[in-house]
Amino acid sequence: MAAEHDKTGSRGAPSDPDTREGLGAEAAEWLRTIGDAQDLTALQQLRVAYLGKKGEITQRLKALGALAAEERRVVGGRVNALKQAVEAAIEERKVALERLLLAAQLAGERVDVTLPGTRPPQGGLHLLTLVTNRLLDVFTSLGYEVVTGPELETDHYNFASLNFPADHPARDTQDTFWTTDGRLLRTHTSPMQVRYMETHKPPFKVVVPGKVFRNEAVDVTHEAQFHQLEALVVGERITMADLKGAINEMAQALIGPGTRTRLQPTYFPFVEPGAEFAIWWTNPRSGREEWLELGGCGMVHPKVFEAVGYEGVTGFAFGFGIERLALVPYAIPDIRYFYQGDLRVLEQFRGTL
Amino acid sequence: MKVPYSWLRTFFDEAVAFPEPRRLAELLDGLGLAVESVEEVPGAPEGAIVVDVRSVAPIEGSDHLSRTVVFDGGTEHVVVCGDPNVAAGMRTALVLPGTYLPAVGLTVQAREIRGVPSSGMLASAKELGLFEHGAGVLALGPDAPLGAKLAELWPAETVLELELTPNRADAFSLLGVARDVGAKLGLAVRHPAAGADCGDPAGDDGLTLDVQDPAAAPRFTLRKVSGVTVRPSPVWLQRRVAAVGLRPRNNVVDATNFITFELGQPNHAYDASVFEGGHMVVRRARQGERLTLLNDEELALDPADLLITTTGPAGDVPLGLAGVMGGAYGGVESSTTELVLEAALFDPVTVRRAGQRHKVITDARTRFERGVDPNLQELASARLAQLICDVAGGWPDPGITVFGQDLTRPAVPYRPSRVRFLMDFDVPGRAQRDYLVALGCGVQERAPDDWLVAPPSWRYDIALEEDVVEEVGRLHGYEHIGMTEPDMRFVPPASDPTHRRLRDRLAAVGLQETMTYVFTGAAELAKAAAPAPVVELASPQGTEKGVLRTALYPGLLAAAVANRAAGALSLFEVGHVFGDVEEERVALLMRGDRVEGGWRSGLAGDFFTLKGVLEGLAGLEGAVVETTPAEFAHLHPGVSAEVRWNGVPVGSAGRLHPAVAAAFELPEVYVAELRLPLGGKRIAFKEIVRQPYAERDLAVVLPVQVTYADLAARLVAAAGDKLISLQPFDEYRGGGLPSGSRSLAMRFRFRDAARALTDAEVDALMENVIRAVRSAGYDIRA
Repeated sequence: MAAEHDKTGSRGAPSDPDTREGLGAEAAEWLRTIGDAQDLTALQQLRVAYLGKKGEITQRLKALGALAAEERRVVGGRVNALKQAVEAAIEERKVALERLLLAAQLAGERVDVTLPGTRPPQGGLHLLTLVTNRLLDVFTSLGYEVVTGPELETDHYNFASLNFPADHPARDTQDTFWTTDGRLLRTHTSPMQVRYMETHKPPFKVVVPGKVFRNEAVDVTHEAQFHQLEALVVGERITMADLKGAINEMAQALIGPGTRTRLQPTYFPFVEPGAEFAIWWTNPRSGREEWLELGGCGMVHPKVFEAVGYEGVTGFAFGFGIERLALVPYAIPDIRYFYQGDLRVLEQFRGTL
Repeated sequence: MKVPYSWLRTFFDEAVAFPEPRRLAELLDGLGLAVESVEEVPGAPEGAIVVDVRSVAPIEGSDHLSRTVVFDGGTEHVVVCGDPNVAAGMRTALVLPGTYLPAVGLTVQAREIRGVPSSGMLASAKELGLFEHGAGVLALGPDAPLGAKLAELWPAETVLELELTPNRADAFSLLGVARDVGAKLGLAVRHPAAGADCGDPAGDDGLTLDVQDPAAAPRFTLRKVSGVTVRPSPVWLQRRVAAVGLRPRNNVVDATNFITFELGQPNHAYDASVFEGGHMVVRRARQGERLTLLNDEELALDPADLLITTTGPAGDVPLGLAGVMGGAYGGVESSTTELVLEAALFDPVTVRRAGQRHKVITDARTRFERGVDPNLQELASARLAQLICDVAGGWPDPGITVFGQDLTRPAVPYRPSRVRFLMDFDVPGRAQRDYLVALGCGVQERAPDDWLVAPPSWRYDIALEEDVVEEVGRLHGYEHIGMTEPDMRFVPPASDPTHRRLRDRLAAVGLQETMTYVFTGAAELAKAAAPAPVVELASPQGTEKGVLRTALYPGLLAAAVANRAAGALSLFEVGHVFGDVEEERVALLMRGDRVEGGWRSGLAGDFFTLKGVLEGLAGLEGAVVETTPAEFAHLHPGVSAEVRWNGVPVGSAGRLHPAVAAAFELPEVYVAELRLPLGGKRIAFKEIVRQPYAERDLAVVLPVQVTYADLAARLVAAAGDKLISLQPFDEYRGGGLPSGSRSLAMRFRFRDAARALTDAEVDALMENVIRAVRSAGYDIRA
C-alpha cells in the first residue's frame, strides 16, 4: 500500500505506527474519534476537547510541572508525542472533510451544459448597409472622401445644373416623383456632384452613397426607392483611362483580382463622353460567367463645370445601383424584400465575425 | 427601335462582307446603340400558298360561314371561311391541310363543316404568325404570284431591338443605324432617297399652305400624288412594316410608315379632297376647339396646341395635332385616288408639351421630341411620293409646296489632340477625319490641331468639342481605353456621414437595422400620431404612398406589425424625415423581453432597457444623455420623455401610446427617435484614483411627482465634491408609505483622491445629505 503510506508518511513521525503504538490505547481511541468526526464542527469540538485551554492534553502538559525532573522528561515526551499525533490527526481529518465538502458542493452545482445558452440580443445591419459599407471601405482605401446629401431636391440640382434641359426627353429617362410644391425626390445621387463642387476646390475624389427615387412600376427588380453610389473625381487632367482604372480597381476589390471591366458608349446629359460599365464575373446564382451591367459613367460635362464655375479642369463620374450588388450575389428573388422590415429576411444577413 | 436585319442589309452593297446578326449586335453595343434583344422572327408557315378568292357563297343554316372557292393558279380549292369580309377577287393565302400553325398551336385539317368539305383554311395574319391582326384573313397585293409558297415571299427575319438614348434622335431610323455601322466598318451607305425627284417649288400644284407659327413648324412640305389605288400592300412592304412592329393596313399607309422608319421622317398622307377650295393652315388651337384623333379619342384642345387644319369643303376643320397624331378626318380611305403628302418639322417642346397635356405617346411624338433632321423633309417627301407610286400606282405632281429653309448647325472648333487628352488613347488625324466624314460631318483642317467640324443637320448632339471627341472615341472603340490612376494630391478628411459607427453600435447591442419607405400616407402618419405631412407628392404610387414621412418610428411600427409573429423585437432605422426641413434621424423600437430567457428567466424590456441603450451609446462618446418628462402625442403620457444629448433636446423616448398601439394591434412597444448626428464630448484622460471609497445607503420617501433627477440634483449638491457616484438601487411604492409617495433607496460612494476618508467624515457628509432631504420636505425611510 505504497500510496497509503506516502499520504500519511508525509505528515511525519506521529503517524508512524510504531510511535502511535507507543501512545497507548487511550491515544488510539482519541485518534479514532477524530477520524470519525462527521463534519468540521464536530472536529472543532474535538480540537477544543483535546487541545483547548481546558483540553485533556493541555491539562496534562500543565500537570507536568508537578513531576520530578526525570519523570517529567519521560511523561513530557509522551504527552508531546500525543499532542503531535492529535494535531496531525485533526489536520488530516480536516483536509479530508474539506475535500468531501468541496466534492458535495461541486456535485450540487452541476448544470446541464447541453441546455441552450442565454443569448444577449443579437442585432445586425441591413444587407444594403453591409454592401454599402463594403463599397465605402473600397473607396476610402483608394483615398476617396465620403459625403452625403439631401433626398428632397430641387430641379436645379437634380436636372438643370446637370445639363438636363427643361422639356427635354432626357428627363423621361428619370421618372420623377415631383412634390406639390415643385421640388422632387432626387432621381440619382448626382445632385451631390454639383453641391460638392459648389463648396470645394479641386483636386478631390469623393463618393456619395444614398437613397434615390424613381416613379416607375414596382416589380421584383424595380423599386420606387433604391440606393446608388456615385463617384466624382476632378483634377487638372483626369482622363477616361483614370475612370476605367477606378472602375477596375473597384471591381477587383469587390469581386477579386483579374476581374475585367467594360465601357460602352451611352448618353447621360451630365457626362461627355459618356459610357455604361459592366463587370465580367461569375454569377453566383447561375454559375455562369457574364457581364454584369452596373451603371453609368463618363467625363464630367463642360456644362456641369460651367454651372459650378470650374475652369481648366477635367473629371470623371460614375454611379451605380447598390441593390443590384446585393440582389445578385445573395440570390434574393425580390427587391421589395429590402424595404419590408421582415426579420425573416433581415436576419439572414447580419454581418460576419 | 426594331431593326430588321435584312432591311438594314439593303443599305449596303450586296457584294461587301457584312457582319452576322450576333456580331452586328456587339458592334452596335460598342457604338452606343445598345441592343436590348436579338429576336428570330419566324416566317410564314410552309404549306401556305397564295390564292385568289373566286367565289363566296353563304352556307345554309350559318350566319357567318361561307363556302369559299379559291384558285392557286392551277387548281381550285373549296374551303369554309368565317370571315365576313372575304370577297371574290381578293388575294390571300390558303393554308393546306396538314400544315402546323405555331402561332396558334393548331394543325389545319381537311374536314367537313356543315356538310361542306373544307380542304384547308384561309388564315389571318395572326394565325399565320406574321403580325398582330386577327380580324379578317390576310390580304395580299397583286404582286404576290398565285400558287407561290408564302414562306418564300415572307421568310424568317432577325430583328435587333435597340434601346436608343434620347440624344441619338438620328439613329431612330434604318438610315441612321446604317450610317453608324458604315462609319464603323468603313462601308459606303446607300441613301434610299438618292436621286428621288424632289419636285419644283415654283410649280403650281394647286395647294396653298399657311404656316401661322413658323417657330413651332419651321419646315413644312406638301406634295400631291394623283391616280393611286388603295389596296393591300405588296408582301415585301407588309413584311417590312410588320418587322418594325406595326400592322400593315394598305399600300399608302404602309408606305408612310415605311418612310418613317427608313429615313426617320414622320409624315402623313391626306385624301386631297379635304383641301378642295381651301388651303392648309398650321395654327394654334382656338379656345374650346375639339379634335377627334385617328384612334377615335376626342381631345379638348388647348390654345397652346399646334394644329394642322384645312379650310376645305367641310369648313375650318383640324386634321391633326401637329407632330403627335393625325385626326379621324381627312385620312386615306379605300376610295381615295388623290393624296396630299405632308412631311414637316415641328418644334420639340411644342410637340412634347402637347403630348404631355393630352397624355398621348406616339412614334411621331417621340421622334419630334428628340429631334428630326431639319433638312430632311423635301427629300423624304420625294422618296415617299416615289414609293407610293411604286406600290399604289399614280404619279407625283411636278410641283411641291415648301415652307422654311435648310438649317446649318454651327461648326465646332476641334483639336484632334483632345482625343488623347480625354480618352488617353491615340487616333491618328487621318482616321479621325474619316470617322467624322463618314458620320456626315464637314471637316476643315485649319491647322494640324485646329479643325472646324461642321455637324450634319441630323446630329443635334454634336455642339461641343467634347461631343466630337466622343464621336471619334466611340467609333475607334471604348475597348481601347486604358487603365490608369488619377494623378492628384488629395487627403480625404475623416468623417462618418453615413453614421456607420452608430449603426455598428446599435447592431452590437442587439438591434436589427431596417429600411422602410420615405413615402407614406397621411392616414398612416395620423394613425401613428406622427406630425402631419409637410411634403406631398404630385403623382404618388397610391394614397398610402402620397406624402413624405415626418418621423421614422411609423415605419418601425409597420415593421413591428410585419413581424408580429416574432417574439421580442429590437429594430432601428437611420434615415431622412421631411418636416419643414429635411433631417437625418435614428429611430429605435423595442418590444418584448430585452433578453429572452427561454427555459429560465430573461430580462423584461421596458422604458429603462430602451433608455439604457441610449445611455450606453452616450457613454461611448463621453456624452451625457438625459430624459425629462415631456408629452409627445404618440407616447404614453406617463412614459414619455424628451431626450437631451449633452443638454440639447434631440428627440423623444417612451412607451408607444396604448391608443396608437391598439390602432396597430401591437402590444406594449417602446420607441425612441433622435436627430443626427449625436455629438460626443472630447474625452480627457483621468488619472486612476487608488484610494478606497466609502459607501452609505439611504432611502428617501418623496412624492411620486418628484423625479429622481430632481432629487439626485439636490443630493449631489448637498453631498459635496467627495461624492463620486450616486446610484438608486430600489424603488418601492406600496404599503407603509403615505399615499402618493414612493421610496427611493440610493447608494452613495465617497472618496478623496489623496487619502482615505474616516467614518466620521463620511457620516458628516451624509448628515448634510439628510438635512437636504428634510429641508426639501421629504422623509428618510428607516
